[in-house]
Amino acid sequence: MSDNNDGTIDYASKHIRFGWWALLVFLTLGFILEMMHGFKVRFYLDVANETRRLMWTLAHAHGTLLSVIHIVFGLCLHAQAGMARGKLPLVSSSLVGASILLPGGFFLGGVMFYSGDPGLGILVLPIGAVLLGIAVFFIARSTATPSQ
Amino acid sequence: MRSVVQWSRRQLGSFPVLLLLTASSVLGIAALTTQPRATPEIEISNRPIQVPDDGFVSSTTCKTCHPNEYATWSGSYHRTMTQVATPDTVQANFDDVTVSEASGRAMHLERRGTEFWAEFDDPGWEGPSTDRPRIMRQVVMITGSHHQQIYWYATGHDRSLNILPGVFLLDDRRWVSRSAVLLHPPDQSVATFNGHWNAICVACHTTAPKTKFDTPFRSEAISQQAVDTTAAEFGIACEACHGPGEEHVRANRNPVRRYLNHITGKEDGLMIQPALLDPQASSQVCGQCHSVWEFYELEDERIANSEGFPYRPGDELTDTRFVAQPMGAPNSATLRTFVEQDPDFVRGSFWSDGMVRVSGREYNGLIDSPCFRDATEPQETLSCFSCHTMHKSPLDSRPIETWANTHQVSSNREGNEACLQCHETMTPNLSQHTNHQVDSAGSACYNCHMPYTSYGLLKAIRSHTVSSPSVDESITTGRPNACNLCHLDKTLAWTGEALNSWYGQQPPTLNEDETLVAASLLWMLKGDAGIRALTAWSLGWKPAQETSGTSWMVPHLSELLNDPYEAVRYIAYRSLRSLPSYAEFDYDYLAQQSERVEKVVPILQAWRASVVASQRQEAELLIDANGNLQTDVMRRLFDLRDNRRLFLRE
Repeated sequence: MSDNNDGTIDYASKHIRFGWWALLVFLTLGFILEMMHGFKVRFYLDVANETRRLMWTLAHAHGTLLSVIHIVFGLCLHAQAGMARGKLPLVSSSLVGASILLPGGFFLGGVMFYSGDPGLGILVLPIGAVLLGIAVFFIARSTATPSQ
Repeated sequence: MRSVVQWSRRQLGSFPVLLLLTASSVLGIAALTTQPRATPEIEISNRPIQVPDDGFVSSTTCKTCHPNEYATWSGSYHRTMTQVATPDTVQANFDDVTVSEASGRAMHLERRGTEFWAEFDDPGWEGPSTDRPRIMRQVVMITGSHHQQIYWYATGHDRSLNILPGVFLLDDRRWVSRSAVLLHPPDQSVATFNGHWNAICVACHTTAPKTKFDTPFRSEAISQQAVDTTAAEFGIACEACHGPGEEHVRANRNPVRRYLNHITGKEDGLMIQPALLDPQASSQVCGQCHSVWEFYELEDERIANSEGFPYRPGDELTDTRFVAQPMGAPNSATLRTFVEQDPDFVRGSFWSDGMVRVSGREYNGLIDSPCFRDATEPQETLSCFSCHTMHKSPLDSRPIETWANTHQVSSNREGNEACLQCHETMTPNLSQHTNHQVDSAGSACYNCHMPYTSYGLLKAIRSHTVSSPSVDESITTGRPNACNLCHLDKTLAWTGEALNSWYGQQPPTLNEDETLVAASLLWMLKGDAGIRALTAWSLGWKPAQETSGTSWMVPHLSELLNDPYEAVRYIAYRSLRSLPSYAEFDYDYLAQQSERVEKVVPILQAWRASVVASQRQEAELLIDANGNLQTDVMRRLFDLRDNRRLFLRE
């Protein structure tokens, strides 16, 4: 159990809280997508809207997975002192940013789109991907460093 | 000791994981290796193959970026015009079936796994017919998926195909002989030959075909030629209308280019968009197949057979093909040359005034239409895309199948909107122009200006030459006029008077029969086989039945059940079955004449004894005041019938 001298516990709580709320958001999105399947909503299911369907499915999947990652990350911060030490603000911000931009990019890419190409909203997705990469890199690196 | 225990525990702990990994791998490999492997096209030697070359990439590539366009095309009959014979595509039953309706002795069909085989009389036998041997061949390809399926077997000579002696009618779920689906003289057999598909069908039923004979086609017997037929894709696929896509695909792998085009709305420029071409060029894209055309010279045909057809969407079609236009250019030297070589070149496809009369040749009709021919502004010029669309709009709520079954008519072009988009001044005064109630069949533009005067696929099809009805056309060409195709119980004189009083048309000079006998009866008794087929079809057309009544139709349709032309009998039977109380009438249009007569006699007797027989005792309908048929008049008119041999080249 880590202490809170460096705010780790605060970060842990923040990510667990963020994770659960985000999970609620993306499960709700999943529920809405299921409803659109159930009621055969053409706006979502028509073959002409295949790109939208793909983008929103990806938004749901990525959002849900990232929500779980937030919760796991929070629990890891609780359990393992020194995780991402020194980089915690950066890792935390990157993870939060990625969790907004990745599913958000997919979602926006499906709102307006060009036949087989997502809409311009997809442009925020690579930024999210970079942020996620940064976060995962520093977390992974910290797990290789013996905890103090 | 402790370390050994720890080591053992570690090993035991990882054992389930290893087991799971091994099991998954084994299952995965088994699944991959036991799946039936589709034979690559290039390895197939007994039929034509699909080889995307010359810049063609095939529809599977287009699908990735154009899912809606792909899906709507995929649901259309253009895609399934030519298919490889597989359990998914063959609609007839091949499970140890004997088919007696095929030409010659009965054909036997069987399945061998996923293959389809047929045993039948050897059509290539040149000895005495009594010695004609049986052959067993694999069915490898199919033409059609909408009305009928024509099956092609591998002849064993390279990739050349020939046609099975039976055709499967999809609506009727029955086999008939090849000749029984065409309107042709009863004593004339329908020619088939080794390589028929490769030499003829390939041109319009595939995308970017190459017949690939090793020596010029027609320079020697096809059995002596090497035949290596290929097509970029079977069926009429994306690139048949948009041109080869390789360069477009390569350029658009660059997302920056794609998004710049998306944002600026700039055209890609590497593919032809037929709907954006001028009306002439866009219609020629359809006209490359939907027309009566020929190569100008035999040499052009030979080059096309070896190197592929030179026309690409956006080109001027007539640069490389002669499109017959006996109405617009009857004195063309090229046309005269073709008629000299083939006296039925015009008669087999056109009415005597040059209007096209067979299905699948709609471009010929379009180019003779005043809305196309006389238009000066592109936006006011009729084109195929004025009414049809090759890709159902996402805003069109109809299912793809429904749309495909309307011959791909756009969602807002199924009614008068199609014509009123240009003739908008008619909108408030439609009834004044048509002299019919606004919501009646008589106020539907198509019914008067594009009547059912083309024939094909055992039915009548709308003329695609936009014209105005007149009695004169019926007198001079024999072609049924639009008025009497609905008012089947009225005479030509009646129609002439109406057209004179409504539109000031000069009253035609008519003989006694044309004045006294309903036009439809004249056409059925005196007309050529094509006219009889069209009229018989109209007797089953709902708007005509509602307008003309049906009580008088039975004896006259019954007459056609013994017509010498099989196609006429088929259509007459379908129309008869559409009449009240005749839906279950059992009759076989391919039965022997004596058998057919046996079926017809009770029908006539029953009609004579029924209440309906007394409902229309009118001389115009050749039913006298006592309800008797005026058989003497019928016989006299029958003797005047146009019995010239007619083969309609649909």
